Amino acid sequence: METLLAFVVGGLYAAGLYMMLRRSVLKLIIGLGLFGHAANLLIFTMGGLTRAQPPILFGLPADAAAGVADPLPQALILTAIVIGFGVQAFALVLIRRAVQAVGTDDLDQMKATDT
Amino acid sequence: MGLVSAVLSGFVLALIAPWIYRIARGATGWLLAIFPLALFAYFLSYIGAVAAGDVVRVSYPWVPSLGINLSFYLDGLSLLFAFLITGIGALVLIYTGGYLKDHSHLGRFYGFILFFMASMLGVVLADNTMGLFLFWELTSVSSFLLIGFEHEKESSRAAALQALLVTALGGMALLGGFLLLNQAVGSWEISELVRQGDAIRTHSLYIPIVLLVLAGAFTKSAQFPFHFWLPSAMEAPTPVSAYLHSATMVKAGVYLLARMTPALAETALWTGTVTAVGAVTMVFGAAIAFRQSDLKLILAYSTVSALGIMMMLLGVGTAGAVQAMVVFLFGHALYKGALFMLAGAIDHEAGTRDVNRLAGLRSAMPVSAAAGLLAALSMAAVPALFGFYGKELFYESLAEDYLMPVLLFASVLTSMIFVAVAVLAGIKPFIGETTSSAKQPHEAPISLWLGPVTLAATGLVLGLWPSMVDKSALLPAIHAVLWRPVFLELALWHGLNPIFLLSMATLASGSGLFIFRSRLLRLFSWLDALRDCGPRNGYSLALAGLNAAAQAQTRVLQSGYLRYYLLIVVATATVLSGYKLLQDIESLSFGRLFDVTFYEAAPALLILLAAFMATRVRSRLAAIAALGVVGFSVALVFVLFSAPDLAMTQFSIETLTVILFVLVFYHLPRFAILSSAWTRARDTFVALTAGGLITAIMLKASGVELHPKISTYYIENSVPLAHGHNIVNVILVEFRGLDTLGEITVLAIAAVGVYALLKFWPGKTETR
Amino acid sequence: MDASLIPLLPGAQVLLTALVVMLLDLFIDEHERGLLAWISLLGLALCGAEAILLWGSSEGTFGDTLLLDNFALFFTQIFIAVAALTVLSSMRYVRETGIHEGEFYSLILFATTGMIVMAAANDLMVFFLGLETMSVAVYVLTGMWRSSARSSEAAMKYFLMGAFATGFLLYGIALIYGATGSTNLNQISAYLLEPQGQWPPYLFVGGLLLLVGFGFKVGAVPFHFWIPDVYEGAPTPVTGFMAVAVKAAAFAAWARILMHELSPLDSDWALPLRVLAIATMTIGNLLAISQPSVKRMLAYSSIAHAGYLLIGIVAGEEWGSTSLLFYLATYAPATFGAFAVITLLTEQDKPKEDYGHFAGLGFKRPFVAMAMSLFMLSLAGFPPLAGFTGKFHIFRSAIIAGHTDLAIIGVLNSLLSVIYYLRVIVMMYMNEGGVKGKSFIESPYLYTAVGLAAAATIYLGVLPMRTLEWSRSAFSSLF
Repeated sequence: METLLAFVVGGLYAAGLYMMLRRSVLKLIIGLGLFGHAANLLIFTMGGLTRAQPPILFGLPADAAAGVADPLPQALILTAIVIGFGVQAFALVLIRRAVQAVGTDDLDQMKATDT
Repeated sequence: MGLVSAVLSGFVLALIAPWIYRIARGATGWLLAIFPLALFAYFLSYIGAVAAGDVVRVSYPWVPSLGINLSFYLDGLSLLFAFLITGIGALVLIYTGGYLKDHSHLGRFYGFILFFMASMLGVVLADNTMGLFLFWELTSVSSFLLIGFEHEKESSRAAALQALLVTALGGMALLGGFLLLNQAVGSWEISELVRQGDAIRTHSLYIPIVLLVLAGAFTKSAQFPFHFWLPSAMEAPTPVSAYLHSATMVKAGVYLLARMTPALAETALWTGTVTAVGAVTMVFGAAIAFRQSDLKLILAYSTVSALGIMMMLLGVGTAGAVQAMVVFLFGHALYKGALFMLAGAIDHEAGTRDVNRLAGLRSAMPVSAAAGLLAALSMAAVPALFGFYGKELFYESLAEDYLMPVLLFASVLTSMIFVAVAVLAGIKPFIGETTSSAKQPHEAPISLWLGPVTLAATGLVLGLWPSMVDKSALLPAIHAVLWRPVFLELALWHGLNPIFLLSMATLASGSGLFIFRSRLLRLFSWLDALRDCGPRNGYSLALAGLNAAAQAQTRVLQSGYLRYYLLIVVATATVLSGYKLLQDIESLSFGRLFDVTFYEAAPALLILLAAFMATRVRSRLAAIAALGVVGFSVALVFVLFSAPDLAMTQFSIETLTVILFVLVFYHLPRFAILSSAWTRARDTFVALTAGGLITAIMLKASGVELHPKISTYYIENSVPLAHGHNIVNVILVEFRGLDTLGEITVLAIAAVGVYALLKFWPGKTETR
Repeated sequence: MDASLIPLLPGAQVLLTALVVMLLDLFIDEHERGLLAWISLLGLALCGAEAILLWGSSEGTFGDTLLLDNFALFFTQIFIAVAALTVLSSMRYVRETGIHEGEFYSLILFATTGMIVMAAANDLMVFFLGLETMSVAVYVLTGMWRSSARSSEAAMKYFLMGAFATGFLLYGIALIYGATGSTNLNQISAYLLEPQGQWPPYLFVGGLLLLVGFGFKVGAVPFHFWIPDVYEGAPTPVTGFMAVAVKAAAFAAWARILMHELSPLDSDWALPLRVLAIATMTIGNLLAISQPSVKRMLAYSSIAHAGYLLIGIVAGEEWGSTSLLFYLATYAPATFGAFAVITLLTEQDKPKEDYGHFAGLGFKRPFVAMAMSLFMLSLAGFPPLAGFTGKFHIFRSAIIAGHTDLAIIGVLNSLLSVIYYLRVIVMMYMNEGGVKGKSFIESPYLYTAVGLAAAATIYLGVLPMRTLEWSRSAFSSLF
């Protein structure tokens, strides 16, 4: 499964990147979302995959506890997901404002600050 | 302490000079002149002790961890320069009052001049190389401010920047040289460096040290091919030309090399370079001076030539040459200062500086005429004037130990031109028939003639009685350079030796050059064509090229297209990480490709499919849906691989995200195809390469046996320490509570941002 | 859990102040909002006092994810000083430009909190959080100039590029975690020091991705593209804040994570770093030459300064790191001061940032012009000003470490920079300036900020000793 996920992450990454290289700022933000999913999956895979042994110790004998899934990457991803959401929400509002101010979603038109 | 306050008090006075001017107005020059005169007297009090061989040294720790001190050192060489700086400084301050009378920024000008004076004193008194460098750069900055003082003219500003760039280039080289010197012998103190001469000369860094120090000295002292800034600097008001650009600052390079002679000289590299550069500058400067017609430019190029003479003598470096250098330097400061101030006075009174139009001013300006005559005769090295001794020793030193026919020939030629130029600049304007000029000329006020008269008269008095200075002021300076006892006695009459005859011949042929000047100029007029390929043009070309390169680069790099920026970042990152990975591509592990069940593979394939869809669809809602499918499938992966907390969070967040996207996108324009097919192909390529790289990295990772994880700590301690059974939760709120706190903070800030943006939702915004 | 909370104190102090300012903002009247600035300053001053009292401590908390040592405290002082100067110089500016004070000050404080966390982070995840806290706050600050389309466009570009770079950091952290099994810096470096020979190659890639992320935040070429647009579009006091504090925070994390904890990998990225340093200096300076706007010129020149700082990173070891910290301290007052002077030129919501707008300033506002001259000369590296001492130590460390070529390129580059820095002085003193009815933001606080920056520029140039000692002790505390 690690091998399959390697291709999944690579594919997500490529798709996200492709979207980020587009001129429409809306596509760009979707690309950013794909990018974020890829990052989360990467951390998840890097921590090692464990089937059906969630790191919850209710009623588990002490010796079985050693086999549970690595909880640290899960905690990290949780943090990343929440932050990602906050940032994305802000981004959406920001982009909407910028698009209204400039009157287009075409990034090539947004060159007011470039000389 | 006295030395420190002698240097630093000038900076304080410079700061308050504008206020003094507000009160004292016309008398300011006279009032401020008291300061350098007092310093002059102060230095005079040391003359006996220094002549007896004493040195004064004070030192205060500055950056002790590096061994850098604020230290000052007074020996014969410093003292001679200190006399020139303070003595001529006093005269220049008085002169300024007359020359820039009622100028709207005169107060500031006084401040700049005093600032320069203090910096220049710092240069010649500093014992620490870093201190010397500091004051050296300050003289460059003050020179910049003074040249650009007449700022209405574009040429002034360009000249100011040019002078600063050239001397700053040298300053940077000098700094490098000092750093390497410190590397080589571990000291910043010049008084220590000069004692380590042998160690330095044999050190592996010797060659770079010499080249860097020479670069500093040559730029500052306007040696070929860096000389061009000095004539350009004549844009400055005349007091500045007289003071900085002939009497003092441009001699800083000569001072530096004289100072460093015990530490660095007496190698083929030093002797060859300094002598050659000096000699070329000498001839070159004299030749160009001859063909100028602007008084100030004549004097500027002859100053370049004189600096070349000093450099050449330092390069030759024999006892006689160093004697000649010191005596020549002193004499040059006297007559050139006088001639410059006179040029300003003439310009002021007659309204022009063109020697071809100036004549017959003697009746209108008798005092100036007398001063001009004396200064010119001194420059021409007529016996009984101080300039004579410099020339005599100069010839003598080249003829003495070993005959240097080429150098001697060049020197005689230069001296001939000096005679002609001296007559041209100091005598010609006053003799002959009065020509009609723009202004009715009349004698300059006392403030304008006091300086030239004092300097010219000093040249006469010391010319008649050279014993007043030879042992007291000049000999200690020579000692400081040579570090061995020498004998110096200047006498008017040495008997009828070949050198004296050569001098007389020089005088006669120099006068001839003056008489036939216009004819000679016509004869050599074809040389004018060469004017445009000098180093000055190199400078302008370099500057223009730099600007063009800068603009071209800006256009290319800062195109303003965000996606190009992203493209470059991705490409850089991919190349950087790719080259390392490609070194062992074969170790990719595909071993775990087939250990999947159908329901595990399904979400993975779904993700890939949806991601592909997202890049293809035209409709905004379809794109959002594709993004949502990716998010939910990722959540499924979390479920399958033992991360229920993650899955739950992901499900809820994804739902919110999709809603948010729909809400915002609903009001925005539709997708349009904005890129060409080629662009899309290129982007596809880049994206696939980067994605492939990530896949490769992960395949490598899955081939490696993992290191035992830190996480066992959390698993073992979750219940005992934190009494929690859901380890992820325990980690989030206990072991890594900080993360959670930070997470909340980020969310809060994002909320503030959203709030801030929404609150002032613009009905209409300023359009561009 | 018995973690000591002392190490949290400086960051918490600022965070608390931010919350107080935010809450108070809801309850007080429009005309009393000036109070918020004073509360912010008070909070920053308290934090500064705490940082001074805690100097010399070395304590970790929350399982050593946060480590308060002299290194963190040194940077904390820089952040606080810059934040305080930003607040001082914004007090009138925010009114003139219609920026809402409460949010402005609290966001400055939030960003400062993030920076303090970044400098003290001993764990990649905590560092990431600090970075996000700072970044998001600065994204918002960039776009706060509401009436300006330029500002919201700048904010959007900054955000998009920033989020992208953050992505790189996250990928880098994931790879390093995958390779070493930890995100804690102590454990990572312990792993790297184990004599086990071969590290997984993607560890190197992880480090490189971190490098890309850091390179973005400090504005190293070729990750610098956002800098001119964002610096120009942001409200000017925010630009000063970014140019100094954000850059310093990124360098703090860079020094602690890459230079120190991951130092066993040094040989792998020695070459990329050298290339980065040379490109950053040279391209930054060349770009700065052709700018018509002083604000934009300063933006590019801040890229060039990042290049000089990279020399310190390449030189490494004791002198390189010490000079890196010291350079940041010397770079701060001149850069901030220059932006403060541009702030001063703002008139009724209209920025006046071109060279032409500086014409004749030397005659209209002699003291401001003198301060600006000091800043320019210091940035160009003239002695005896702060910029010179900073460059002196950077180049010296390069020579000691055997990178004489880098030092030479650096010296030539600073000569190049003389051209555009002096252009400002030429404008101020050598052009009378025909612009009529020029008015300025007349705020005593803004003048105070400019004056303080000028004083610091001179102080650090003339008496560098104490700060140099602090830099060295800050660096030593990493061990």
